[in-house]
Parts: sequence; structure tokens; C-alpha cells
Amino acid sequence: MPKPLRKTKVQGEVARLVFFFSSILLCFIALVSLPRLAAPLSFSYVIYLIMNPVIPKLMKLGLGKNTSLAILFIGLMFSITYPVIKLVPMITTESQNFRYYIPKMERYIKEKYRVVKSEVESKTGFELKDNYAADAIQGAREAVTSFLLYLPQYLASTIEWIFLVPLFIFFLLKDGHKMKSIVLRLTPNSIFERFYYLGHQFNRKLGDYIFAKFVEASIVGIIITSGLWALDIKFALLLGLISAVTNIIPYVGPFLGAIPGLIMVVADQGVGPEFGGVLILYIVANAIDIALVFPILVSKIVDLHPILVVISVILGSQYFGLIGMIISIPVAAAVKLIVAEIYRELYAVRTRG
Amino acid sequence: MSYEKDIQDKIDTKGDLPEKLDISLLKYFWQASPLSGSRPDSVPKFLRDIDVLKNFSDNELRILSQSLHLRVFTDGEVIFSQKDIGVGLYFVYSGQVDVRVEKEADEDENIIITLDKNDYFGELALLQEGSVRNATAVSRDTTQLLGIFKPDVEYLIESYPVVATKLLQSISVIIANRLYSVTQELKRVKHRLNQMEAESAKALEKN
Repeated sequence: MPKPLRKTKVQGEVARLVFFFSSILLCFIALVSLPRLAAPLSFSYVIYLIMNPVIPKLMKLGLGKNTSLAILFIGLMFSITYPVIKLVPMITTESQNFRYYIPKMERYIKEKYRVVKSEVESKTGFELKDNYAADAIQGAREAVTSFLLYLPQYLASTIEWIFLVPLFIFFLLKDGHKMKSIVLRLTPNSIFERFYYLGHQFNRKLGDYIFAKFVEASIVGIIITSGLWALDIKFALLLGLISAVTNIIPYVGPFLGAIPGLIMVVADQGVGPEFGGVLILYIVANAIDIALVFPILVSKIVDLHPILVVISVILGSQYFGLIGMIISIPVAAAVKLIVAEIYRELYAVRTRG
Repeated sequence: MSYEKDIQDKIDTKGDLPEKLDISLLKYFWQASPLSGSRPDSVPKFLRDIDVLKNFSDNELRILSQSLHLRVFTDGEVIFSQKDIGVGLYFVYSGQVDVRVEKEADEDENIIITLDKNDYFGELALLQEGSVRNATAVSRDTTQLLGIFKPDVEYLIESYPVVATKLLQSISVIIANRLYSVTQELKRVKHRLNQMEAESAKALEKN
């Protein structure tokens, strides 16, 4: 009698495991296939991970949970809405003006090309054809124009986000623990402890990573913007924003962020004191980032070997473009966490036992 | 006779009506409300009966109960196995739990204790890093357990430091008690060992 009973028990547990993992998979597929919903939802989740540790700190001051939630939320609303309302028109006008600036840069490159061409011809006798430069300029112009044309459109969808994101964040902050307990209630007994602990660790690491990156990008963005402003360079805000966003990408990000600013200055004023000033500004901003910001936040940033970081960034960019480059590191950290847990399960315990 | 019929009879016969409403149904709904703390089977009420948690106030028990996870195990289901890595402490909410230790020589398992309602187990896992379970816990009948895990303790430390401190105090008491009994046991073993040594020395002298 006990044998068949044991068999049904095992089958029950297997059924629960299958149900649990297929539910998770279904949720994941639903999110991937609905990007318009998934994008603001993921963004809200990221903000939620940053905001969530603040609630206990407010509660320690003697405030109730709902009061601290309300204070935090009103503060968040203000700090998201105000800059967006102020910045969106500024960035839109800057990016529109930038478009009119392209012919100037184009003229500059053509002039330089002519000089280089005559020099090459006089020294080697080899004649460079004009269409090399023309093709390159054409390609670059199309890319930049399409980016700038779509930028206001992206910003318009951010205005849609202004309504969606606070809504999601509010309910995540308010009912996040209820959603968590529903997921935990569905978790089968055999994997409960491991799943709960791993999920908790992953969330904390992801939250820390995002918080650290957010602080780092903001600091770099602020330094670049204020520096460019002080040097009286055009489009300081736009260039600062670009360097802040690209800073999220490790290793290559700072260089990518510096390119538009440097090209801008060369095209506008040629290689002169301004170019030197801007170059030094970018170097100083990244030096501050590497020397001061990074060591303070380094314990918060997931510890991955540089090789792993580079590989995961390349893989991310290969499959998901720019977004892939940004999310590749936390995903790699999650994979590392899970692999380490499986390793511990398979080897470490056996040897200790 | 029902309450309604009783009142109707009194109205018909113009008898004295009771001054207060005494409707058992109302009382039932009041007590059955999930918001009411007077339910006899609620988790805080259950925690009140646990000896090591006696230094908690009612409100602190209510806060603690929000961080507990109710897990249901069927008859014979393994709660955790010996040598598993554990992260939590369990209270037996209903049913029974067998704690077994694997024998070294043969594969058979040895039941060392059966835990009943209000008992608890697995407290070391809450404190140790990468704690390995010392025994296997198996449910007997359908068992309901209330589990508290490392993430919950971290949350309590951040949000409700007083509750967390009292919880850790209670766990320290449990561990201190266990340590005391282990020390006593060790003393007895040492004494018995000394006795045996003396006996064998005497036997050797005789020979």
C-alpha cells in the first residue's frame, strides 16, 4: 500500500512543478510579445527596485507604511514629472536644431577630405575618388537624421509613460509583497526554500546594480552637461544626456559618449582650444567616474570578471541592440548566481556531508 | 426555539424585550471576520501559545505573522532532507512532523523525535551562512507549517527592528537551551567515559 501512495505523491509534486514553471514561462512569453506593456512595466520594476529599500528607512522614522509609501510616491512623481515636462521641450528643440547643424559638419568633412585627397595624390600619386566621401557622408546623414527625427517620437511615448509608469510603481510598492506571496504560495514545496532565497538575492543584486549605474550615469551626465555649458558649447544638455546613457554600457560606453561631442566641436570650431577643453572635460568626467564613483559603488556592482562582462555585452548587442548592451550585465549576473547555486547543490554539499 | 421566534412571541404576548441585542449570528460574523483578531485559529493567536515568543506584544505578533509563510505538506512529504542547504525556521501550525537522522552504517533512518503543534525546528538555518540541515523532516498526516526565512528576517530588521530583535532574542534562547542540553549531555558522556577508562584500567591491573 505505501508504494502506490508514494508514487501519487511524487506525481503530484511533478505536476505542481510543471504547472509552476509553465506559468512563469507563460508570463515571460506574454511580456516579450507585448513590448508596449513590457517596456513601461520593466522600467517601473527597475524604479521599484531602487525605491523599495527607501520605505523601511522612512518607517524607521516612526511613519506608518502607508504614510511612507505616500511620501515616497509624491516625491517620485514630482522628481519624474518635473524634469520630463521641463526637459522634453528643451531636448526636442535641441535635437531639431542639431538637424540643421548637420550640413555645416558635412561641409567641414568635405573640405578636410579635399585636403587629404590632394595630399595623398601629391605624395603617392593615387587618386581618391569623391564618391568615397560622398557615400560615407550620405550614410552618416541618413542615420543621424532618422535618429533625430525619431527622438521626439520616443519622447512622446515617454509622455504616455508618465501616466503608466507611476501607476505601475505605485501598485508595485503597495501590493508588491502580495504579488510575491501569491508567487510563493504557488511555489512547490520541493523547491520553495531555494527559489525564495535565490529570487531574493537576485532582486537585491539587480536593485543594487541598477541603483549604482543610475547614480554613476547621473554624475557623469551632470559633469559633462555643466562642463559643456561652462565651455559654451552648443547642445550641452543633449550631449550630456547622450554621455549619461552611453555610460551605462561598460568599457565602450564612455568612448561612445564622447564621440558626438568631439565631432560637434571640431565641425563647429575646428581643432582649437575648445576641442582641447572638451577632450579634457570628457577625460576628467570619466576619471572622476573611475577614480571616485566606481570604487564607492563597486561593492554594489555585480562582481563579474571583465572578460565575462565584455562577452555578455557583445552577446547582448548581437541579439537585442542597445537595450541588450544595457541589460546584458544584470542578466549575466543572474545566470552566474543560478549557476553558482546549482554548482553548490551538486558538489559542495556532497563534499561537506 | 429560534431567537427570532422567541422575540416574535414576546412581541405578540407583549412581554419584556431584552435590553441588548443578543444575536449569535452577528457574533459569529464578528468573530469570523478576517480583520478581527479574536479568531481562535488566527496565526497571531497561534504564536501567542509558543513559549519562546512570550516576550512579544500582540501587535508585534501580528507584524511577525505577516512575515510567516503557510506551507502545507501531505502525509509522508519531505519538508527538507539531511545535508540540504536551508534558509528557514518552521513552526508546526497543525499536524505532526517526524525528524529523522540517517544512520551511518546502514541506509535505514532513525526517527529521533516527533514534533507536535506549537513545536519548531530548523532554527540554525536562519542564522548560519549556507547552513546544512542536520536531519530530515517528514510530515505525518497533512501538516501545516509556518516558515520564516532569511529574506523575511532581513525585511524585519530593516522595517521593524524591535520585532526583529525580539525574534532573534527568541532564537538565541532556543539555541542557548539546546547548547545547555548538549553541554549536559557531553558532561554525562565524559563522566561515563572516565568511568569506563577506570574500569578497563582496573581490569588490566587484575590481569
